[in-house]
Amino acid sequence: MNEYKFSDIYVGLTESFEAKITSEMQDRFLKICGDINPLHIEEEYARQNGFAYRVVYGLLTSSFYSTLVGVYLPGKYCILHGIDIQFSAPVFIGDVLKVTGKIIYINDAYKQLEIKAFITNQNNKKISKSIIKTGLLHE
Amino acid sequence: MNRDEIFSGVQEIFRDIFDEDDLIIEYSTNSDSIEDWDSLNHINLVSAIEKEFKIKFALGELLTLKDVGAMIDLMLVKLK
Repeated sequence: MNEYKFSDIYVGLTESFEAKITSEMQDRFLKICGDINPLHIEEEYARQNGFAYRVVYGLLTSSFYSTLVGVYLPGKYCILHGIDIQFSAPVFIGDVLKVTGKIIYINDAYKQLEIKAFITNQNNKKISKSIIKTGLLHE
Repeated sequence: MNRDEIFSGVQEIFRDIFDEDDLIIEYSTNSDSIEDWDSLNHINLVSAIEKEFKIKFALGELLTLKDVGAMIDLMLVKLK
């Protein structure tokens, strides 16, 4: 786990990591949130609606934005203030996602960081992008 | 940049942050005047003003501000 302090942070600082989506993740997410929409749990329904396979929950893939800030950038001392997410492509079980975040703005007075982040799949296609705002527990 | 131009820019920032296209602010507007003006939105306001006007605030300067008018007075000094 990274432990960036406020004094370590600069505009342009970038971190990334990879994660593979498994069927177990999809099933666990269903148990957590109870979203029984058939697009996420029925292969046939997904195919009938133009998708090759059942679609992974968008908020499951977006949970990696939490990992990005909580573990990598800034890491241990992060306090999440907000996330604005836009989805651009579906994710399927077995996809390998790369999550990348870069510091784009620092509010020195209130010690808030603004991070531009995005997730790509194994084909380098962007599946979502986000603007994340975080505070820091440590100066 | 004069006081009216700054006020107009700040008004647009308030409308964006609070998602109210017809929000009207006054020099006396403060955090008691707008229901959603909480601590996080306050930080968002300051960041948006810093970025739009290309200025930076110190925490000590912000702690003394009592309303929009005081903020604009401070901005006038920084933009001279």
